[in-house]
Amino acid sequence: MISSNTDPQVQRKLTEILRIIRENDTAIGARIIADKMRERGYKIGERGVRYHLRILDERGLTAREGYSGRVITGNGIKELEDGLIGHRVGFVITSIDELVYNTSLNVNTGEGSVIVNTALIDKDDFDEAIDIVGALSETPYSISPYIKILEEDSPDIKIPPGEVGIATVCSITIDGILARSGIPVNTKYGALVQVHDSTPVAFSDLILYNGTTIDPMKIYIDKGMTSVTDALKTGSGKLLANVREIPVSARDQAIEVLEQAREIDIDGVIEVGEPNTPVLRAPISAGKIGVSLYAGINSMVAVKESGIEVSIHPISSILNFKDMTRL
Amino acid sequence: MPLKKISQIAEEPITFTVSKIEDLMYGVSFDPSTYAGKIVTNISMIDGEHIDDVLSIFRDVMSSGLTVSPLVKLLSPGEKVGSFTIPPNMQGIATVCSITVDGVLLKHGIPIKPIFGGLVEIRNSVPLRFTDLVRYDSTTLDPLEILMSQSLTSVSDMLTSGSGKILANMREITMNAREKVEEVLDELVVAGFGGILEVGEPNSDILGVSVERDHFGVVVVGGTNAEAVAQEQGFKIEAHAMFTLMDIEEMTPITQLV
Repeated sequence: MISSNTDPQVQRKLTEILRIIRENDTAIGARIIADKMRERGYKIGERGVRYHLRILDERGLTAREGYSGRVITGNGIKELEDGLIGHRVGFVITSIDELVYNTSLNVNTGEGSVIVNTALIDKDDFDEAIDIVGALSETPYSISPYIKILEEDSPDIKIPPGEVGIATVCSITIDGILARSGIPVNTKYGALVQVHDSTPVAFSDLILYNGTTIDPMKIYIDKGMTSVTDALKTGSGKLLANVREIPVSARDQAIEVLEQAREIDIDGVIEVGEPNTPVLRAPISAGKIGVSLYAGINSMVAVKESGIEVSIHPISSILNFKDMTRL
Repeated sequence: MPLKKISQIAEEPITFTVSKIEDLMYGVSFDPSTYAGKIVTNISMIDGEHIDDVLSIFRDVMSSGLTVSPLVKLLSPGEKVGSFTIPPNMQGIATVCSITVDGVLLKHGIPIKPIFGGLVEIRNSVPLRFTDLVRYDSTTLDPLEILMSQSLTSVSDMLTSGSGKILANMREITMNAREKVEEVLDELVVAGFGGILEVGEPNSDILGVSVERDHFGVVVVGGTNAEAVAQEQGFKIEAHAMFTLMDIEEMTPITQLV
């Protein structure tokens, strides 16, 4: 526990050191931690790190391993999930920024990397699940028909024994493509879109990314508010979507880039808004336009709605687009 | 919730929770000194056969001070509340929503701004910090309903051991109204309305969250902690926080029911 009466400066350093220890797969010593702290903008030396490590050890958040190495404890992991709330509001989006910056897909050649969601399912459910993912990939609700099957020995993502992973293209890839074209992108809302006669009618709910510590997509899924399967079967239902804002002046270029992306099978666009006009009821800032897309995890949600047990990991990692196969 | 026609949805503007809250706050007419007027209530629905078990849970939570008030109203199947009818085989329970506190402060001329609903970690009966939050101006869904859906609460643990995570919410008030706020909160306590977790200092963080310049924060327990305990203990409960205005005369202390 990092108590609330700890000096805020000390508290920030303690939290950052904890993060560094967690990110490391093996035990890590004070010297390397000090180097990493400096990379992240904290002015602290090896001795300072040792002082902070002693506090972390006393509080049971880290433990010694070997000669002066440290590992994170269960309580330490919990502390990272609960602590420093001011830094976690909008965190969903801060972590998206990092991924967006790392997306290197070239829409002309189809080369480079895309952001993917992964779903882990039991091997026995695989055939049924892949049929559902396949059915959704033929609809306009899909971002891309390209997927990657991840087996236990996959070098990209760790898959638990007995399970298999399905990676699908995440809609945040498009934020990356827009950002790579020099367009400032602000991913604003996680949304639930109502479709009727297979046409998007309106957003029924909106959550601003920078007003929550909980991922909006997870909220809609856990509250059981989606009906992707109904949308597939009857044309009416509620699907996951998101909205980003870009400057009005970038509208033509954005449309062009989205066209190119469609040609290499990356789409899922619901609407590119007009200036000063809400997008399917979502308010848009002055001087901006809204671009809304279906979320890439809708296919996983459909699998879940069918009763198959699935653990969904949105925006989980980056894969080379050429390594993915068309369904 | 009544289903709306699809075409209707597209034409209506979207409403964020903050507007709904301010609407309800404006409707509060409860005066603690006369014990009369309208308050804001949450409505929860449970299967009729579990009502006795759930009511005794509610009684325990309410008597431990983790809700705003021990007042409830039972709603039978078919009974109407606002635009909503309790479905057959279900039993409704109306409880007092913490927005009532905001409404009463507002009606005493105090400008008040509800900011967010969240989870407060309590350690040995002392509120420590917020661990999650959702801002009212950022969502069309109720933050407390969101937090309950994430299975992040541990109100039961709080009851048994004094440590756990409970639902709470935060509002900001201009610092020159501080004395008046304390006065009104005292009046509310006398009238049986409690659950004030923390009154912050001006320009200072409250339970780890910063406040706007020249304001202070007030943290009140969420009105649906009793619902959270019922849910943690495995009862299926459908909670609608900040649902409707109700006359305080319609409500009864839970101890008179169980």
